[in-house]
Parts: sequence; structure tokens; C-alpha cells
Amino acid sequence: MTKTLEFRGIGKSYPGVRALDNVSFKAEGGKVLALLGENGAGKSTLLKIMSGDQRADEGEILIDGEPVFFPDPQAAIAAGISVIYQERQLIPSMSVMENIFPDNLPRTKFGLFDRNKLYQKAKKIIETFGLPIDPAEQVGRLNVAYQQMVEIMKAYARNAEIIAFDEPTAPLTDTEIEILFNLIRKLKAEGKIILYVSHRLAEIFQITDEIVVLKDGKFVKSFKTEDTNEAELIKAMVGRDIGDTYANLSRNENIGEVILEVKHLKTPYLLDVSFEVRKGEIVGLAGLVGSGRTEVARALFGADPVTGGEIILEGKSVVFKSPRDAIEHGIALCPEDRKEQGLVMLHSIRNNVIMPFVDKLRKKLFVSEEKTKEVVADAIAKYSIKTPTAEKVVSELSGGNQQKVILGRWTSEMMKTKILILDEPTKGIDVGTKREIYQTICDLAKQGIAVILISSELPEVINLSDRIITMNNGRVTGVLAREEATEEKVLSLAMREVS
Amino acid sequence: MEKTGIYKKYIAPVIHHKVFTLFLIFVVMVIIFSIWSALRGTSFLRFAVFRNILNSLVVTSFLAIGAGFLLVGGKIDLSQAAVGAFGGVVLAAAIGRWGMPWYVGVIIALALCAVLGAINALMITKFRIPFFIATLAMTLMAQGLMYLFSSIGNNGVASNINFQDKTLRFIGTGTIGPIPVGIIIMVIFFVVYGIILSKTSFGMKVKFVGGNPVAAGLAGISATAIAYILFINSAVLSGVAGILTAARLGQGSLMALQTNQFTGITAAVLGGISFGGGVGGMAGVFVGLLILNTFQIGMGAVGVNPFWVQVFTGALLLIALTVDFITQKRSSAAQTTL
Repeated sequence: MTKTLEFRGIGKSYPGVRALDNVSFKAEGGKVLALLGENGAGKSTLLKIMSGDQRADEGEILIDGEPVFFPDPQAAIAAGISVIYQERQLIPSMSVMENIFPDNLPRTKFGLFDRNKLYQKAKKIIETFGLPIDPAEQVGRLNVAYQQMVEIMKAYARNAEIIAFDEPTAPLTDTEIEILFNLIRKLKAEGKIILYVSHRLAEIFQITDEIVVLKDGKFVKSFKTEDTNEAELIKAMVGRDIGDTYANLSRNENIGEVILEVKHLKTPYLLDVSFEVRKGEIVGLAGLVGSGRTEVARALFGADPVTGGEIILEGKSVVFKSPRDAIEHGIALCPEDRKEQGLVMLHSIRNNVIMPFVDKLRKKLFVSEEKTKEVVADAIAKYSIKTPTAEKVVSELSGGNQQKVILGRWTSEMMKTKILILDEPTKGIDVGTKREIYQTICDLAKQGIAVILISSELPEVINLSDRIITMNNGRVTGVLAREEATEEKVLSLAMREVS
Repeated sequence: MEKTGIYKKYIAPVIHHKVFTLFLIFVVMVIIFSIWSALRGTSFLRFAVFRNILNSLVVTSFLAIGAGFLLVGGKIDLSQAAVGAFGGVVLAAAIGRWGMPWYVGVIIALALCAVLGAINALMITKFRIPFFIATLAMTLMAQGLMYLFSSIGNNGVASNINFQDKTLRFIGTGTIGPIPVGIIIMVIFFVVYGIILSKTSFGMKVKFVGGNPVAAGLAGISATAIAYILFINSAVLSGVAGILTAARLGQGSLMALQTNQFTGITAAVLGGISFGGGVGGMAGVFVGLLILNTFQIGMGAVGVNPFWVQVFTGALLLIALTVDFITQKRSSAAQTTL
């Protein structure tokens, strides 16, 4: 008999939000089921309920037809459920084997911890999956991909019959994704129930058998993977046809002189990077994770020390010792991780907008209230940030609006930004808002701002940038104009080895 | 119609302010102690008791302001009491043993305290030592230095140092009209620091760094510079607390501020400054300190065993921290689900 996991009428509310509303569907053993939806669709909440982290307000979960109840995560684990979250739940200072069997360490007859036996047990599991990991290796020394494998093996060692993956491929490179998929196929062949949450449609077609689409906390539709296509899924996710996101953008046709030249730039993380950017130009930096894209941004912004080469801004050689220096020269950075690096989450929109130029708002000793109001109202209006007041705390905004707050900050008239570096500007932002942000980027270029765009989403880099610079291992490996760029070309350049 | 306008503009912001809630707690506390003491045949609602409470605030208020600023900036200084006691002994030695004028003694004492604060900041920013450890080490160093200072010119024996100075005596125990000088100084400090925190760009930067040091750094705000200012400020204010204690006693006591190691932090936390940093104000710190001292003196007034009072003070801090933890958890839950 195949195993089943069924959700029946699951509902969950948070203050002010209906996170899940009457969601029902069923997953079967030996199949991979994708949970698909925009941000805020309720995928994460569903995983949290399933793992005992949160409790549903209504509805029930049934395993093999029997209703189950999880008051806490331990109960869910005991029932054979494991959720592999994006954030690792491993202890980095301990070995692989201890992480695989954290709650089930073998003992010698004296009651002491039996290292040999543990090593053998762990080795056996690692071999089952055919991975080149030493059981005694410290987990913190493994790369993200292998850490994830350890987490999967931990679930496997617990005899988990139901394994859910939350955006598992986000930090992985293509080869690593392949290893992960082989692992998932193995689990599937053993008849386990697998839930797979991801934004990346291509992957969903590669690995899943069924797809459940959620929108605004409601079940929309389920599909057999083989019977559907991308367009149909996107339509179900956003509830409308989005057409071609990029085709109707109003672009800047007026590219000016060179404003920034980077010559043989070297930092502890970069080997040799040279490129130039013109006024009003959007330059894309493409490359796999770890290629050095973000590090270029950090070096240009004075956040990493430059050990060699030269940065020439408007014809003058410059050295930035700190982000403050870079900001004063008109360079701005929207960092990769909005919550961790971009915003003070417990502060208001107002505070987050004025953060870099609070000194300039001074009138004698104090920060001028009127000037502040004016500047912040300007940012809110310019980007149509959806909020009743500038005093709203940014943690209560959607990802898209949070990004707009950061954009509003750097493009405020107080800043005189000449070069805007955007690191993953649409990460975790829903399809509709993405389109808005794309147009914003084009509009900024029209005002003569040079934009350096870093993104893991190839279609985004290719379609938005006037030129694309590819990187690999801390070096520039190629330059493509938009007209000649295709995903294949960019990828092959991004994987080229240059020395 | 007009009434609701006035309500919205003037009354609602006051009622919905965190400090208002804290003030209510203070009022409830006073009521409880009044009833309790009445039941025991004593009286709590007396001028003497309240002057006692206000007076008890003076010394600790400087610790609380320093700790409050640090906590808003996301940091903690455990060495406040030791640094303050050190400052008091330096002052007493300067006046009592070396015959210096009072203001020279004050300047030397505060300057040395500032150096200790700068060392705290150096250990934390440059050598990346966690602030708990760094300031704990400073506690030991400051105590050692205090004993050293008190033993100089005393055959190597550490002892309390007596001194006499009219000006310091006036600052410590004098009154202007009916109001003690100490209270006036305290109010001035609270107002000035409150304005710095809420109205100046420096205050904003402290909140940014406390709320998210990484984001603040990437917005061009130097967390290192802020840390130096905050730790030096905390040490100097501790020195002021130590000097006031010495001025009141006419003595640089080796035991000064000994029970106050956590007073500043406790008041700041009770006053609604979150352990996560980035939010809070001086009004909250003042009411927090008021609650703390009223609680302790009130407990004494109704005859609770002082050992128990200390246990209950600890419990009060735990409650405040729990409330802080729950509010933070709630807001972070809202973050991840929205």
C-alpha cells in the first residue's frame, strides 16, 4: 500500500493576515509533489504546520488516512516528517556523523559514546547515497551543498517517510543541483512522500510528478507535471496572463560617456576584474554563485579591501576605505539580503529611507522634521510604496515594498547617486512587483544613473542589461551585448575557466 | 468632531506610547504599596518616602543613562559599577591625599574612566571580544586599579579615603530651595540625553547601528565610531555616579556602587529598551529606574526581608525580559509570515 499524506481544510490566520484558507490536497508515496506559489501564497506556513512548528486554526492532517496532531516539532519528527529548511539546522562545530544521528548516539556497554559504531553507521548511510563525504569531517567545513546533503541524510536516518524541501536549490550551483536531484530520486524510489517547494519552474519540471498551486493562502489547482507547461502554471500562480515581462519595458536609449572604469581589480576574493560602465547604462554581472559577482559590488562600495588594480570614477582614480567614502562619491548599493543587510527591520519606513543621509538633514543641532517628511514623502510617492504612513515599520511591508524603500533611499535627491549597484534586486519578490521594479531600473538609467545589476536569474540579467559581463572564480570571463546574449551563451561564458 | 481631533492629536499619542504603559505600572505599584503598608499600620504615601525614592535615583540614573544608550546601540557594559567606584576613589585620592582642587580631581577621575571605556570599545571592535566578556574583564581590571589607587601613599594598604570639600559636599547633599542639587543634575542629564537620542542625527545613528549593524554599515554609518562613543560615554557617566557617591559620603569608598552592577541595565530593560537594540528612549529609562527604585524602597517600607527584595528584583527583571522576548518573537513571526 502506498503511503499518503493528506491536508484537509487547513486554515491559519495571523494578526491581519489569512495565511491559509481551507487548503486540501493529498500527496502519495513514491512521488514528488511541488508546492508552487508567489511569496505569501502560504507555502512556508503549510510547511510550518506540517512540521509541528505552528498549529493550524482549522482542518486536519492525515497520514495513511489516520488523523494526526503535532503539538510540537518532536511529535512531527516521531510521525516520520522531516522538513529541510533553507536555513540549515545543523551544528557546524560538530562532525557529520554526530549531525546525522543527533538524538540517537550509540553507546558502549559502559554507557559511553561509541565513536566507532557511529562512524560505521554514518558511513553506511553516506555510501547509500554515494556521496564523497567523510563522516568525521566537521560540518562547518563542508560547502553549502554537502551541508544540505547531511541534512537530508539526517532525515533519512530518522526513517522519515515524509520529507519536505523548502527552496533547496537556492544556494546551489548546477552540478550540486544535479547531485541533490539524484538524492531526491533515490528517496522517491524508496516510496517516500516528497514535497518540494521552489520558485524555479525549470526545476519543477525536472524533478516533480505533481504540482499544487497556492495563491493568497488558497488552493488554486493541482496539475500532473507532464500535462502542463510554464505559461499555464504562471497563470495559475498570478491569476492572470503576464505576457512578456520584458517586451514592453520603456528603456533608456541614451547612453552617455564612461563614468566608471575598473582595471585589474584585486581583493581577497577577486583575482582579476576589469570592465567599464557608462552613464545611463545597465550593466549585468552574471555568474554562478561564488563567481565573485557580489564581491565586485562590495569592493566597489568600499566594503572589502582592494589589494590591487584601480577604480577610476569620472576619470579620477579613487580608493574607498569604507562604504561612507563610496557613498560620498555617489555610489549606492542595494544589498543581496534586504532583511539582513539592507534594512533595520524594526524601524519605520521614514528611518530606513533617511539612514545614509541623516547628517545632511540637520538644521543646526537637530534633524529637521520638515525636511525629513519632505524627503520621505518623495520616496514613497516616487515608488508608490503601499503604506498608510511613513511611520509604518518595514518588517510589516511586503518584499517588493521593502525593496522600494531601499531604492527610495538611494535615489533620494539628498544622495546624488551616480552609480547604483543592485544585488539580486528581485529576490523573493512576486511576479507583478518584479515587473514594476524592472521599469524602475530602466527609469533610473534614463535619468543618467549607471546601473550595475547582479542577478542569479539569467532571463533578468539578459533582458534588462545593455551589456552583460560574465564572471567565474573571481575573474571576468566575457562581455556580451544584449542583442547577442542568450541563456546558453551567458552560461557557457560563466563556466569558462580563464587564467 | 473637534473633540476627537484633540484626542487624536494630543491624547492618543500619549496613551499609546510605551512609556505611558510603564508609568501606569508605576502608579499601580504605588497603589499596591500604599494599601499594603496601610494594612500593616505604616504609611507609604509620605513625602519622606518619595524624597527617599527620588534621592535614590540620583546616583543610579547616570548608570541607567549610559546603559540605556548602549542598549539602544545593541551593547551592554557590565563594568559600570566597578568603573564608577574606581572614579570615586581616584577623586578622593586626588583631593584627600594629594591636596588637589575639587575640579582637578573630577577631571582626572573622569578622564581615567574615559580611558577605561575606550579600552572596552577597543577590545570589542578591534579584537572582536564579545561585550559580555570584555566588560567583565574590565570589571576586574577597574577593581584592581581602584585598590591600587587607594593604596598609593598608604603603605601599600588599600583603604577608603576620606576627604573634605565644600563644593562637592554641596553637589552631593545640598539643596537649591527645597530641591536637592543631585535631582536637578539628574533631570538636566535625562533631558539632554533624551534630546540627543531622539532629535539628533547621532541619536538616529545609535538606533540604526543597534537595530542592524550590517545594514547601518552598508549605509555608511561607522559602527566602530559609535561603539567608542557609547562605551566612553557609559564609563564617564559611571564616573559621575562614582563621584556623586563619594561627594555624598565625603569618602572614596572601596564598596561604592557594589550593589549596582546591573542596576543600569535593569532600569534600561524595565524601561522598554529591547535586548535586540535599535528602539527605546530616555523617558522609558527614567520610568524604568523609577519602577525599580520604588519597588525596592516600597518593599522595604512594607517590611519585606531585604534578601527577599533582591530575589524579587531579579524576578522583576526576568518578567521584563520575558515581555521583551515575547514581543520580539511576535514581530519576527509577523516578519517571516508576511
